[in-house]
Amino acid sequence: MLNFSSFVQKAQQLLDPTQGLNLPESDKNPSKASLFQSQFRLPSSQHPLYEITAELTIPPANVTQGDRDRDRGFQYAGKLHLSEAFLCFSTTPSSFLQSASTSTSSIFTGQTHGGGPSGNGFTFPLCAIRRVERLHSQNFQFALSISTWNGISQDAAKEKDKKDLREQRVTVQLAGSRQACERFCDGLKKGLRANVGNVAKLKKVTAECYSEYLLRPEDKKNATPPDAGLGMLFKYPGDPKKLRDRAKMRLWAEYLRDNGRNMTLIRQPTFHKLIRVGLPNRLRGEMWELTSGSIYLRLENPTLYADTLAKFSGRESLAIDEIEKDLNRSLPEYPGFQSEEGIGRLRRVLTAYSWVNAEVGYCQAMNIVVAALLIYMSEAQAFFLLSALCDRLVPGYYSTTMYGTLLDQKVFESLVEKTMPILWEHLVKSDVQLSVVSLPWFLSLYINSMPLVFAFRVLDVFFVEGPKVLFQVGLAILRINGEELLDASDDGAFISVLKSYFARLDESAHPKSENPKLRAVTKFQELMVVAFKEFSGITHSSITELRLKNKDAVLSNIENFAKRTAIRNLGPDSKLLSNDELGALYDRFYGVLYERQQRDHIIKQEQARRAKNSRSRLAEVASEGDHGIEKGRVGLGPSTSLMDYDAFREFLAGMCKWAISDSPTTPRRETFPEKEKGFYSSFRRPDAALLSPWGAGPEPADHEFLRRLFQKWDTDSSSSLTLQKVVSGLARIKGKRDIMGTITYFFELHDDNGDGKVDREGILRMSEALLFLSRRGLEGTLSPSSSTVTLSATGSASGGQNDVPGQSVSERFLGSVSAFIRRCFEYADPDHPKNQDSAVRELGDKLESTKLQEEPASEQLASPDAFAIGDDDDDDEDDDLLAMDSPAGSPKAPAKKPNNPPPALQLNSTQLSPNDDPDTRRRVSKAQSEKANIALDPSNPLHITLPTFRMVVLADELLEQFFESSFPSSFHIIEGLTSANTPTSASSLTTFSSLGIGIGIGGATSRAVNAATPAAGGRGLRGVLDNIVTDGMRVAAEVRRRMEEAQRELEKNALASGQQQGQQRGGDEEDEDEDEDGAGFTSDRASTRSGKVGRSVRSSDRDLLTGADAEAGDAAVDEAGPAPGGVGEGGRELGGNGGGERSSETGKVVGVEFDG
Amino acid sequence: MADSNTPKPSSSVKLVLLGEAAVGKSSLVLRFVNNDFQENKEPTIGAAFLTQKCNLPTRTIKFEIWDTAGQERFASLAPMYYRNAQAALVVYDLTKPTSLIKAKHWVAELQRQASPGIVIALVGNKLDLTSDGAGSGGDADGAGAEDSGDARKVTTEEAKTYAEEEGLLFFETSAKTGYNVTEVFTAIANAIPETSLKTARGPGASHTAGRTEEQRVNLNGPRDPNAKEGCAC
Ligand SMILES: Nc1nc2c(ncn2[C@@H]2O[C@H](COP(=O)(O)OP(=O)(O)OP(=O)(O)O)[C@@H](O)[C@H]2O)c(=O)[nH]1
Ligand SMILES: [Mg+2]
Repeated sequence: MLNFSSFVQKAQQLLDPTQGLNLPESDKNPSKASLFQSQFRLPSSQHPLYEITAELTIPPANVTQGDRDRDRGFQYAGKLHLSEAFLCFSTTPSSFLQSASTSTSSIFTGQTHGGGPSGNGFTFPLCAIRRVERLHSQNFQFALSISTWNGISQDAAKEKDKKDLREQRVTVQLAGSRQACERFCDGLKKGLRANVGNVAKLKKVTAECYSEYLLRPEDKKNATPPDAGLGMLFKYPGDPKKLRDRAKMRLWAEYLRDNGRNMTLIRQPTFHKLIRVGLPNRLRGEMWELTSGSIYLRLENPTLYADTLAKFSGRESLAIDEIEKDLNRSLPEYPGFQSEEGIGRLRRVLTAYSWVNAEVGYCQAMNIVVAALLIYMSEAQAFFLLSALCDRLVPGYYSTTMYGTLLDQKVFESLVEKTMPILWEHLVKSDVQLSVVSLPWFLSLYINSMPLVFAFRVLDVFFVEGPKVLFQVGLAILRINGEELLDASDDGAFISVLKSYFARLDESAHPKSENPKLRAVTKFQELMVVAFKEFSGITHSSITELRLKNKDAVLSNIENFAKRTAIRNLGPDSKLLSNDELGALYDRFYGVLYERQQRDHIIKQEQARRAKNSRSRLAEVASEGDHGIEKGRVGLGPSTSLMDYDAFREFLAGMCKWAISDSPTTPRRETFPEKEKGFYSSFRRPDAALLSPWGAGPEPADHEFLRRLFQKWDTDSSSSLTLQKVVSGLARIKGKRDIMGTITYFFELHDDNGDGKVDREGILRMSEALLFLSRRGLEGTLSPSSSTVTLSATGSASGGQNDVPGQSVSERFLGSVSAFIRRCFEYADPDHPKNQDSAVRELGDKLESTKLQEEPASEQLASPDAFAIGDDDDDDEDDDLLAMDSPAGSPKAPAKKPNNPPPALQLNSTQLSPNDDPDTRRRVSKAQSEKANIALDPSNPLHITLPTFRMVVLADELLEQFFESSFPSSFHIIEGLTSANTPTSASSLTTFSSLGIGIGIGGATSRAVNAATPAAGGRGLRGVLDNIVTDGMRVAAEVRRRMEEAQRELEKNALASGQQQGQQRGGDEEDEDEDEDGAGFTSDRASTRSGKVGRSVRSSDRDLLTGADAEAGDAAVDEAGPAPGGVGEGGRELGGNGGGERSSETGKVVGVEFDG
Repeated sequence: MADSNTPKPSSSVKLVLLGEAAVGKSSLVLRFVNNDFQENKEPTIGAAFLTQKCNLPTRTIKFEIWDTAGQERFASLAPMYYRNAQAALVVYDLTKPTSLIKAKHWVAELQRQASPGIVIALVGNKLDLTSDGAGSGGDADGAGAEDSGDARKVTTEEAKTYAEEEGLLFFETSAKTGYNVTEVFTAIANAIPETSLKTARGPGASHTAGRTEEQRVNLNGPRDPNAKEGCAC
């Protein structure tokens, strides 16, 4: 019944119309949608919705050849496809439905081998279909008669003109079950209805097609023809006679009359033949946009070009600068581009495109290609065609990394190796790099290599058959010149052979032949024959395959190059880091950005998938996946090189364990992915882990410290980090391995206004940061001395904490932090100098004068090394300094300290037992706050300076080690975090335990937390420093809470009275103070009495220290670092061990300062 | 031909031109090879290849010149061209400070990635646009003087100091007037250590595969840019 077999086109070639790019490795089979779009050159908005086997019958009026069956017309068997806005017929028996296996979808036949509008058939926009009727006949069980708006833009109002407008009507006979046919028809009906509104667009688009003008009756040709390029003004290149332009035009006019024009054109074998012999000048532009499919882009959005120009009018960009440089340098030999008219068009098209595709922007060679296009088409046509080129025909050629160009060079080389092994061997032997000659061929589509007329002939075929044409022509060039090339033994000779060949393309290929016909064959004709006959085996699918094969090597080459270049250009700060570190940073930086984009994409995709469950939507989603799948990969031209705060957190969480969240909101994986290796590894179908916002990695913490770090690194406050900023930021922490630098850095991190002072709030923030950073344990080289270290160990009052053997470094560090806070307040400067006791100042003066006497060498004095940290390794001098300082500083403080309970132990278990009424508790604390030390008195502003901070840090062995080694080495730049060095469970956090007193996370929540922490009050120090799961910042939080309470109090009471109360400290209230002051970081007796002395000593020292900032005892500290107990011991004195002598033993000047 | 009766040892030298887009790389080559200048030189796509001989008193040097594309995104193609190069001309535009930065990047890249011992010349082009270029330009036809203002944005000192630090030859040129162009190539020819020169490759020179790395290594012979030899190219 159905006469399919007689007309089935012979399947010739394997074909795979994907580009072989932008495909996940795990899924080398491109989506059906992208295959479909490629085959019919449809915009990416189109998806294969329905398809059905069918037979196309073109009635006799349309038949241009064959005439086999006048009555039945010409018939083609194939498949009818329906998308959202197109009805396509192709003789290639391909299937794009989801259910179809890829093997079916990748088998195509037809002239173009899938690279373009394939086989015979049509691609009708639904809006170009005027009517579809169902035919009933005995033969045709289910047949549709389709009539189109062929020639719609012609004004055919008058009846007598109607006959000129040839109605186009084809019949499609569906083959399939009744149900299938009906489903297809229903879809078609819906589609037609939905697209009725687009007829106006169709009119507008076709009105700009030259074919409409061409097919007008002679008497109506006085109207101005549509813009067919600069050639209409400046002549088309080449001699029209030689090109036989007229004859070609006649043939085309005839073909278009019979088979429809532009949107309604039906492809029959003649169509392809006419293209092979070269398009006539005035139709060239239109046929290019039709065969490339860019006309469908124009149909989708006919005003995009004009709108873009209007929208960005007057704006500037890097691309525009680059374009401007090249405008005068684009096909300058063509007269049109020596005129403002041509230059103006070129400028507008390139500019508009650089706006719509900012990622590509402008690439040299685009100017040449667009200039060529503009000779044959209007600006808008060229704009859309450029789009089609960049997106589909030569993907990645003009990208910022030009990966497409490099990839196709590799592909070309392997084709040469395969098809011309002898020549290839010769090239290798002579060390001639093929791509240096062939790269410009591909990049400028032969336009710059061959005389224009011939380059355009290549383009004619290229647009209809796809990128494989570039390869076929290139191979043919080499084959034809093979003999001579084998004689050429270096680049120069090689190039000159080809140069002279291109110059003689119009000459006879066989000048000496007897046969005049053979003599008439030009070299160019010979080239075309060789390209498409001898190399007909080069198909789209073979290109695709080779692209896939070479893609990774090419991309990683580019990435290595980009990395090398980027690292080299990172600026002076980068010198502080090793090359390996820079390399690792680069990988991590771009790795995070890439992964985040991937994840984003997959999550979006998944959301869409969930949101819309219809089949068509699925298809849409899948195809989006293919387009975006490798977005962000450096080799493809990264879409971003900026890191926002979230990415920054993720970046840190990949190398710093403290940057990992303690309480992940999403389930965390216990295993750590090997991020170092190939972070471009494929992202397969959504994996549960990838759907979490942090992917397979740990969820990063969000802490004030991270935010500060981000802001600090973000030197220009653009809320984003470049690699350069990240490197500079890290270089300052990790670069010099210089404790002073790190301390300074940490201080500056909390010095919000950069005035060299950190206020009360800041001190608390610093301690919070210290706790935050240490909560997963300290890293780096920590002094093994455990018997007498840290403040917590100074808890002699609780019975020799020193001797607790099992206390971990981390636990001891908590003590250090609490001591840190206390000392900060102790040594803080009041903001109003008048508050300072004049006596204290006197003392300070005295001290200074003593020093002057002792150190007469002014040079010594000026040199901070001489004092602050102890001069290098000169022990004698240290002793001198000690001797000098001791008399002034030591008498008071050490005497007091033993009475001073260790701060870490100042946990009030009695007063703040969980059973206490919160109100009572608050009352107590309030009362104490009022009486409390100056440090907590908000009415008494204070701050610490960098020298103070330094001193406080250096006073504690653990803190010192933290800044010297632990903090810098907590950035595992190279090795990253592995399960070995990262605790994966939150239970290993080292934090303050619930201390039994009313400390909470913040003032507001403190009571709730109190209630939840019963019994803890009874525990000893061990209990106090117990590990808790949730929060390590309680100490600081408690202080803050109290401050807030004090503040509240103040608001109630008069400000003055608060101050008075503050000054009344001392006496019998001291004990209460101590008890109440929780973890003991508030000022105590020591601070009230000896604190002032200490401050004065310090302030006298400060000048020296301040001037010294940069070098201040760097060396000294370096020396001091490994000495166990050194600086730390000095600090310990403060805790109350009264070890003045011990200080002098260890010879640490810093200790001396504290002794004061 | 002056050298036809006195056959001198002839050797070829691979030279690569690098630098930001539109600084005048192709123009310098065109001036050197054809003694010509084109106002609207097409941007170089990928790279262009030209050759020119340079006659020194004792030998003839055949320059195989690779003129590369300057746009940033073509940078990843550059290794393909400077591979095995014995000399490099890193060009910047005297009127564009950014082009010197780019030039420094190229120098760094070459020093790390190119053949060891590569002779690098730093060239500031478009001297005709500067006030001191107007006078020195040999055949300046006044076109450069139309806006007699000085467009110079990079001082000689700055570039020269840098060049000395890095051990580069240094010239300021004008492809437009031809000033100093030949001198650059002559200086390079002189600076190429004798030991690294390979004999010219004739059609029968099947030993060209010997163009190996070894020949390019150990080029650290003393370079003497002052040893001026005449270049009759
Ligand atoms: N005034 C002046 N203009 C010059 C000089 N050299 C080149 N130009 C102009 O600068 C523009 C760029 O010159 P090119 O030689 O093409 O520059 P290029 O460095 O090869 O550029 P790319 O190939 O794009 O990297 C052209 O318009 C030249 O006419 C010069 O010495 N003086
Ligand atoms: Mg150039």
